[in-house]
Amino acid sequence: MSVLLISGSPSAASRTARLLDHLAGRMDRPATVLRLRDLPAEALLHGDTAHPGLARATEQVAAATTIVAATPIYKASYTGLLKAFLDVLPQGAFTGKTVVPVATGGTAAHLLAVDYALRPVLSVLGARHVTRGLFVLDTQIEPLAQDLLPRIDALLAEVPLEAAA
Amino acid sequence: MTNVRLVAVSAGLGKPSATRLLADRLVTAARERLERQGEEVEVRVIELRDLASDIANNLVTGFPGARLREAVEAVTGADALIAVTPVFTASYSGLFKSFFDVIEPDALTGKPVLVAATGGTARHSLVLDHAMRPLFGYLRALVVPTGVYAAAEDWGGAGDGLTATLPDRITRAAGELAAFTAAARQARPAGPAQTPAGDGAKEKEEAEVVPFEQLLASLRPGRG
Repeated sequence: MSVLLISGSPSAASRTARLLDHLAGRMDRPATVLRLRDLPAEALLHGDTAHPGLARATEQVAAATTIVAATPIYKASYTGLLKAFLDVLPQGAFTGKTVVPVATGGTAAHLLAVDYALRPVLSVLGARHVTRGLFVLDTQIEPLAQDLLPRIDALLAEVPLEAAA
Repeated sequence: MTNVRLVAVSAGLGKPSATRLLADRLVTAARERLERQGEEVEVRVIELRDLASDIANNLVTGFPGARLREAVEAVTGADALIAVTPVFTASYSGLFKSFFDVIEPDALTGKPVLVAATGGTARHSLVLDHAMRPLFGYLRALVVPTGVYAAAEDWGGAGDGLTATLPDRITRAAGELAAFTAAARQARPAGPAQTPAGDGAKEKEEAEVVPFEQLLASLRPGRG
């Protein structure tokens, strides 16, 4: 019964990771933020699944019942870093899990990247349920815009409390 | 006549790699078509696998090292680009996307691009249209109408009666790339090698807009 929030931002001062801290803080169950930037980047891009750092992250995914997959929008899509991580996960890594797609971006013009780019790659990993997406503008994160709170809480309320079979 | 710089980017991880094999087939076909148009062709194939460490360093430091910078310059300076990725989790690979994340948003504007992908089965063919085209669309590249997806059964296969065979698709895509390249070069004033990015970028952008009728004409069957 735990939540893993994955940040696909390569940036050291990442607003996406900050947003995940805010989300984790509003959850009613144990939640961990995994910053993909901290994983061994070389092993990740070589697809070296045996690397201990990657194996540990893969175990974190396996242990979570809910995954929040978050990315800043780069070139109207998810980052290469997030995709490199999804690529090293075993087939069906999200089977039985609820997955929440989250994206941050400089412009609302790219909001549809959540549903047209991010959602399909989460779904192909076998997610039981991919919830509505959350798109947040960079300017709404630090400090967190108060009008986001009802949206965030409504979204989190959709995440089932019971672990899936 | 200056040379046509034909650059292929291959994101295959294996050795040998089906992705590299497809890239080579496409390069050969495109070179042949361009030469038939009277062009001198200079070919460069960039293996992203060999640059994976450089791309990783770039992720960590935020700055591309010399090798990565040189590869990016080859891609942005190409007259025609062939981009080939293996399909992982129903999309381009993370390595492929990480490389194109390094490229400036306007650096491929107006560039003729052929998109191609390899996979175990035909089930993920739509990756070309759902993942690759949007990426190069964002980059305002001129993606040719035919994308080439090669599933394991396509190599040496006779097609399924509904789809043209792999060699047919390669030939058609290469013909389109050659036609787009000729049209884009005609539209650009002849002269010395392209100005580096940032220098007279506006002028370059204006010069690279190809009249639509010209593109249509270059696609008509029987040409080139």
